[in-house]
Amino acid sequence: MGNAESVLEIPLEISDVSGQKVFSVSNAPANNTVGELVHEMLGKMNLPRNDASGAPLSYQARLEREGRHLNASERIGDALERGDKLTLQPNIDAGAQL
Amino acid sequence: MVLMFPFRFAVALFREDGASLGTVPVDRDWEPVYEWTRFYFQRKDELALDGNGSASVLPLWEYTLGEPYCRGYRLQIAQPGRKPVASDFPKTHFRNIASVAASQLVEHKQLREGEMYSYMVVAHPAPPEEPHSSGLTVANASPGVPAQDAALDTFLARAKPSGILHEGDMPAFVSRRVLDEAAEQTNANQGTETGGILIGRLWRDAAAGEIFAEVTAQIPAEHASGTNVKLTFTPQVWTAAEAALRLRRKGEIYLGYWHSHPVREWCKGKACTPEAQKTCSLGRDFFSTDDEAVMRAAFPRAYSIAIVANDTAFTDLTFSMFGNREGITQPRGFYVVEETTSAAK
Repeated sequence: MGNAESVLEIPLEISDVSGQKVFSVSNAPANNTVGELVHEMLGKMNLPRNDASGAPLSYQARLEREGRHLNASERIGDALERGDKLTLQPNIDAGAQL
Repeated sequence: MVLMFPFRFAVALFREDGASLGTVPVDRDWEPVYEWTRFYFQRKDELALDGNGSASVLPLWEYTLGEPYCRGYRLQIAQPGRKPVASDFPKTHFRNIASVAASQLVEHKQLREGEMYSYMVVAHPAPPEEPHSSGLTVANASPGVPAQDAALDTFLARAKPSGILHEGDMPAFVSRRVLDEAAEQTNANQGTETGGILIGRLWRDAAAGEIFAEVTAQIPAEHASGTNVKLTFTPQVWTAAEAALRLRRKGEIYLGYWHSHPVREWCKGKACTPEAQKTCSLGRDFFSTDDEAVMRAAFPRAYSIAIVANDTAFTDLTFSMFGNREGITQPRGFYVVEETTSAAK
């Protein structure tokens, strides 16, 4: 039987792409999805949810340990381990809006 | 950082004759103002480089009208055991909100197109916030400003200014090689936006009371997709940049990004005359709201900079730099360094 804490909540470290904003999360719920985690962390880290025109910005979470982008539907308890480091990477346009 | 709002701000609009047009609540992004204030005092050594303290946005009352009318606002950052630091900002920071509200009034036919209006900023005490029931417990573990010691004079002695230098801006030095590479990449992708990530170091001259940036290299955004009017920074771009940064093992950090503006292509599409092109505001020092959004999402710190390569039909390629000045992204000058400085060796 596993450790109750490791089953229910997982501590993580989450940063923006620049590595200049880093937040430690002590209790990411194992049953939540990566998408839910990303959504909540954008608010906590004060990262923009929308682009300049107001359209939603998409972010992907990159798991450093495995060097891959997580799917938003993956379950935290299945994909992540204690102390994992995630980077939130936006898909964003620079542009002229002519 | 926790940003607190003991007051709620709103913008009140009036017709030219003083009749009220209504009030809209202020919903704005305060982060750039907070970042600028924090870095301003870190540069002056009045705030710790690793300071992630809480900050408050406070009203500055109008001298004659008094409360609730504001002449601006104050951003105040607390620091344990020391006096708080604060910067004051004018009410013009709310002008865009007034402008958007006026446009909506025009749409709803409550204001005529072109009709004059005025605005005032008001603030009222905010009701106590309900405690958040959100499940995540987070702690800000952001690194401090990673500045190393160096003498500003040694950089200035080997650099040439480019653009209009503003006294209050953090000095920014860019290696000539970076600009040459950006020019080469821009020319190779003529007609299509291209770009890269700017990396380098932050230096601190304690005697001069200044922190400054040195852009040592650019990492081409090879996985970005460009058209003539946009450049998409995909997650693959950030992953490749991170890998390149680590491989270099030079202790560099992200300082911002650069991208090209194929203005000559835009002019072709609009059939602009050569004379019009020479005076067009898109030809130099143009940074779109989308360009700003990239800064906000990827390079939020106030020391971050952006460079635009202006590819026009009427002159050689030029470069414009942009940075956070008083919470607003603005064009700024910089220094070009012909070779790596001794401090960086």
